[in-house]
Amino acid sequence: MSIQFERITKRYHNASVVNDLTLEIATGEFFVLLGPSGSGKSTLLRAVAGLTSIDEGRIHLHGRDVTHLPPRERGVGFVFQHYALFQNMTVADNIEFALRVRRMRAAERRRRRKELLKLVALEGYDDRLPSQLSGGQQQRVAVARALAHEPAVLLLDEPFGALDAKIRVELRRALREVQQRLGTTTILVTHDQEEAFALGDRIGVMHMGRLLETGRPEQLYRQPATRFVASFLGAANFVLGELTPDGLRIGAATLPHEGAEGASREGREVVAVIRPEELELAERKELLESEWIGDAVVREVSFSGATERVVVQLARDTGVRSAATDERQANERPVMEITRHAGERLGLRLAPGQNVSLGVRRAHVLPTPISSFVVAARSADSRTALLEAPLMQQLTRSMRARVTVLEGDFAANTEPPRVHHAGVVVVASGPGAIADVARLAAAGARRILCIPAAAGLPERVLVHCLSDAARSSTLGLLASVMRHLHVEATLVCLQARGASRAERAAAFRRMLDTRAALQAAHGLDVRTDVHIGELSGFTRELDTRGECALVVVGSDASPSELQNLLAEHFSVLFTADSRCPVLVAVEDRQRPAHTSHEQEPRTSVWSST
Amino acid sequence: MASIAAPRIAEFRFREDSILPGFGLTFGFSLVYLALIVLIPLAALTLHALGASFADIWRILTQPRVLASFRLSFGASLLAASINAVFGLLLAWSLTRYEFPGRRLLDALVDLPFAMPTAVSGIALATVFSGNGWIGRWLEPLGFKVAYTWVGVTVALTLIGLPFVVRTLQPALLAVPPEVEDAAESLGASRFYTFRRVILPAVLPAWATGFALAFGRAVGEYGSVIFIAGNLPMKTEITPLLIVISLEQYDYRAASVIGFGMLVISFFLLLLINLLQAWQRRRSGRRR
Repeated sequence: MSIQFERITKRYHNASVVNDLTLEIATGEFFVLLGPSGSGKSTLLRAVAGLTSIDEGRIHLHGRDVTHLPPRERGVGFVFQHYALFQNMTVADNIEFALRVRRMRAAERRRRRKELLKLVALEGYDDRLPSQLSGGQQQRVAVARALAHEPAVLLLDEPFGALDAKIRVELRRALREVQQRLGTTTILVTHDQEEAFALGDRIGVMHMGRLLETGRPEQLYRQPATRFVASFLGAANFVLGELTPDGLRIGAATLPHEGAEGASREGREVVAVIRPEELELAERKELLESEWIGDAVVREVSFSGATERVVVQLARDTGVRSAATDERQANERPVMEITRHAGERLGLRLAPGQNVSLGVRRAHVLPTPISSFVVAARSADSRTALLEAPLMQQLTRSMRARVTVLEGDFAANTEPPRVHHAGVVVVASGPGAIADVARLAAAGARRILCIPAAAGLPERVLVHCLSDAARSSTLGLLASVMRHLHVEATLVCLQARGASRAERAAAFRRMLDTRAALQAAHGLDVRTDVHIGELSGFTRELDTRGECALVVVGSDASPSELQNLLAEHFSVLFTADSRCPVLVAVEDRQRPAHTSHEQEPRTSVWSST
Repeated sequence: MASIAAPRIAEFRFREDSILPGFGLTFGFSLVYLALIVLIPLAALTLHALGASFADIWRILTQPRVLASFRLSFGASLLAASINAVFGLLLAWSLTRYEFPGRRLLDALVDLPFAMPTAVSGIALATVFSGNGWIGRWLEPLGFKVAYTWVGVTVALTLIGLPFVVRTLQPALLAVPPEVEDAAESLGASRFYTFRRVILPAVLPAWATGFALAFGRAVGEYGSVIFIAGNLPMKTEITPLLIVISLEQYDYRAASVIGFGMLVISFFLLLLINLLQAWQRRRSGRRR
């Protein structure tokens, strides 16, 4: 491995800009770090070069730990957005700078300079001053300068950001060529999705200081794991589908889906991503080549060269629900975006107001457990309070997830609330909330978020599994939440007072296994904390500290057992003045439990402790 | 007059896109302004001085007391400007490169020597550096006398010259983005190498200008120096004071001759600095 990031954390004024990030980049790889501004990608890049220090973690370059080395000893080449050429030196002096520092002989320097200028197609520009060159040429010089000392790693920080579109494409191709010829391991930071696709062998998408996903461009585009990546890499329609044994149901369409066999008969709500080019339009549904979703009305048609972009609004009662909180999606008739190539455009000409049938060729199901939020409140005031709670605001805004509201007082109704396939059910925390959680769990809710009135935005996330069987669903839920909060997460493990050596070993093993499972399944890292004593003691301590922490609890208990467990261990967090929101993941017990070896102490590396 | 000037000017119009009204008007005004404020007073001084015979001028200028004052005035001014060049660079550097509490306050303090009446700063310096002043009290036992020596003169000239160096360097340093330092460091340069090869060449013209301004101001300084200098003839008497003394003795001729001498020396020194600067620019230009 050429570059290794090991649990990198960088904080500015106590806010983490890069959060527990782990990543490996192979020798010769062209890796693109993609993300919106403020996602921490440039900070990470500067950390590789040593231009920014990191608070925690290690960085290895070619197996050498460079975490504490100054920039000049790291042997990297860095290209800046605004070129950062030495204005008072000629192109030749700029390129030879690194060689002069290394006291290379003049003849050798000259040979190397000629080579580099040829590589970036600027032969004969030796004696120009940077101010006499165009932006594109200056950036070529900057690339040549960064490569002069044959760095092990080339780092580029939005190198094309200051250039106009045409030069950008040209320079992109040139850079790719140079990189392939030299085989230099390269990291490029950008917020431009097209650039990432054009350049990257592999792309890593960053958001809020976390690396959300890494993968080959096509893989990320076709099979994103998160809403953010799905929408950041090109246009995407988000709809709520239902996963049943027959397949994925979206409106009238049922598409085959891999995970369908295991689905329960009631169906499970999922978020489906449909790329605009995977939708089809026809005059009548019989003319569709793909699965018919429903009928729609054309709202907008815009021509953009090779393709045409069409916006349609679905007809009433198609049963299709949008998964996004986009303003125009607010009513019950979702809007979908379609791109059509020239052939399709000639087959059916469209004008706004026209009625069409909408078909879908393929849909991708996001593995997120948070498909939507359903607010279940006892009163209108409580409903408003929940909708406006900082945590809700942050999660829904960041996920752009759909929020629906259960009308009326859900607790007063005698029949069970209709929440069986909601993503997350949100209730007000407080003395009665434990009973509410049990009631909602009995009605089929699998993820319940209790928000106290006094809760602000959580300063950290604590996670605890009450049983191993609930581990994977708890971690899935934790991962979804972590990606949308700018805070550290801590896995809390318990160690009974006076536990035997074997029990201690087992507890540690479980903790490490859980952390490894999170890293393997979701690519996220957490901190760990071992609490000695009872769980109720831990929650009491948390409550006394008065900090606002989101507590994620996983359990596979039945609703009544769950009520007892929560009352026994977490009651302090459900008092009227608590500040900690609690997110409960309920796992069905009939699901096959995880293999039993996790619960049994084996020969343990911890036995010496 | 403007009607005659206009067609001629049109032939060598330098720049069209200026926000100032017509070249003729602005150029004309500039000339008038320069003549009124600078040229006419200087010409009057020169004429008055040249009214004396050459032998008279030579005699006045070669008096030991006058020569001593020239030595002190120009020597101390050069020394003060040099000190300011070094510490002004440091000060400008920390003001532009670092963010620290009180940065704005410090930035504003730099201008104070501009705004203070020079007599006030002179009296303050004399008080502080005299034998029983706050600083003089500690220096005197070490055998280091500041007030009423040439050292005191230098201290006063340093004080009033500082803003010139800092204020001319600041924009030049701001024009060198910190990224350039990052680039140099990532290419393997040490901090000193980066400073010497990257930062210094970029700010050298501004630095030289700041030095020249500080020097020029120091040569002409009067108010703040006379309080701390002690004004002993042959020892701590600066040339401007000598001129005032001559005036008080109604010796207008001597005053104007000494003033003229100062003018000539200053002019040649400033010219030298400018030539050095041009030479440096040409040298870096030739390497293209």
